[in-house]
Amino acid sequence: MKNILLSLVVASSLFAADHVVDQKGKTFIPHAINVAVGDTITFKNSDPFAHNAYTDDEANEFDIGMQAPGKPASAKVLAAGTFSVECAIHPNMLLEVTAN
Amino acid sequence: MYTSSKHKELPMIVRLGLSMIIVAMMASSLQATEDMSKWLRPAEVPQPKDNKLTPERIELGKFLYFDVRLSSSEKISCATCHHPKQGWSDLEPTPKAVGHEGAVGPRNSPTVLNSAYQSRQFWDGRVKTLEQQALGPIEADVEMNMDLNVLIPKLNAIKGYVDLFEKAYPGEGLTKKTLAKAIASFERTVVSTISPFDKYAMGKKDAISNKAKKGFELFKGKAHCIDCHDGFNFTDGSFHNIGLRDGELQGKDLGRYLTKRRAAWYGVMKTPTLRDAEKSAPYFHDGSAGTLHEVAHVCGNGGRFKHNVKNKSTYIEDRKLTRPELSQLVSFIESLTGPDMKLKIPTKFPQ
Repeated sequence: MKNILLSLVVASSLFAADHVVDQKGKTFIPHAINVAVGDTITFKNSDPFAHNAYTDDEANEFDIGMQAPGKPASAKVLAAGTFSVECAIHPNMLLEVTAN
Repeated sequence: MYTSSKHKELPMIVRLGLSMIIVAMMASSLQATEDMSKWLRPAEVPQPKDNKLTPERIELGKFLYFDVRLSSSEKISCATCHHPKQGWSDLEPTPKAVGHEGAVGPRNSPTVLNSAYQSRQFWDGRVKTLEQQALGPIEADVEMNMDLNVLIPKLNAIKGYVDLFEKAYPGEGLTKKTLAKAIASFERTVVSTISPFDKYAMGKKDAISNKAKKGFELFKGKAHCIDCHDGFNFTDGSFHNIGLRDGELQGKDLGRYLTKRRAAWYGVMKTPTLRDAEKSAPYFHDGSAGTLHEVAHVCGNGGRFKHNVKNKSTYIEDRKLTRPELSQLVSFIESLTGPDMKLKIPTKFPQ
């Protein structure tokens, strides 16, 4: 039984996907993504200035912190649901995440 | 039907080539237009679905905006601190707003101009919509100091207002909600007019001086103003701590950090519009700059305090702008000043 559970966990992590979202022109590209619980979202910063992606969604709360140009940063999706990601500097930047 | 025999005679490859050249020329021309059109105010003002602009709502909102009876002292209206004669900011150009019985507020009065286009209201962005914003200053004890539970019955006792609310919001009554909606409706009409720079952006190349043109190039280039003052409203709505104070801000204004203790929000304030800025001195959230020259110097040359500023924006760097360059930037900002919008300020109010 232990082996079966271990296999399931390994299989689950093997299937976890990474979704790349760029921050360019003060916009999230793409501006909406579908993900699975356990996936990661990697934020690129192609702008020549800093960004700070975050969400206040209770189940998936994260704050990337100040992200310098060219430095990627990731967050893990922890729970199912739909939530918004904003930039703490640029409130007009919005990313809609649907997690299944 | 008439068709051009000349085109028919051309080989397919030449016709394709010509077509591609024409399309490229059109795209190039379109690109040029788009590049400058991003600086022009969209004709459509954003409006919420449940509060579309109507003449009745705007007229009602205008009365309310200028009516001192909305304050507990009956001496202060919205216009006292956001007056059209002072670029929709404080009629008295004090660094910080002066409200109820001479109380000094914590911040400089921001302009109402083009606030309809902003996704966050107030210096600290604590609300999103003008409807959410409208009642705050009425209730604030250092501003109009009016209890809404007193104000709503007071307005309901004024037949003229009851009738105007019914015309503007049939069946909705005169409530806190419709009061906010009416004031927000008027605020949505406070938009920038056609400035010399707008005429320049529309193709009138002599609409602004050569000095202002140099300032525009600096604005987009060396000075990096565009990093925050981007788009037709010359703000991208972003939040920054530009280094007006050094060290920790204990006992000082923590800005957006007051709305939530997020590290990135320590001491940050919303980037203001530059449109009509010439009319609304003093500047910054603390009113600490008296001239646009000082503003350009602080923002372009690394902040008032260059070092030891907690959470200072990485957008603020010492660009080593010279005095002539700062002067060119100011000329450019002054070219964003349009004529006052046509407005008849009410002198008689509903009774």
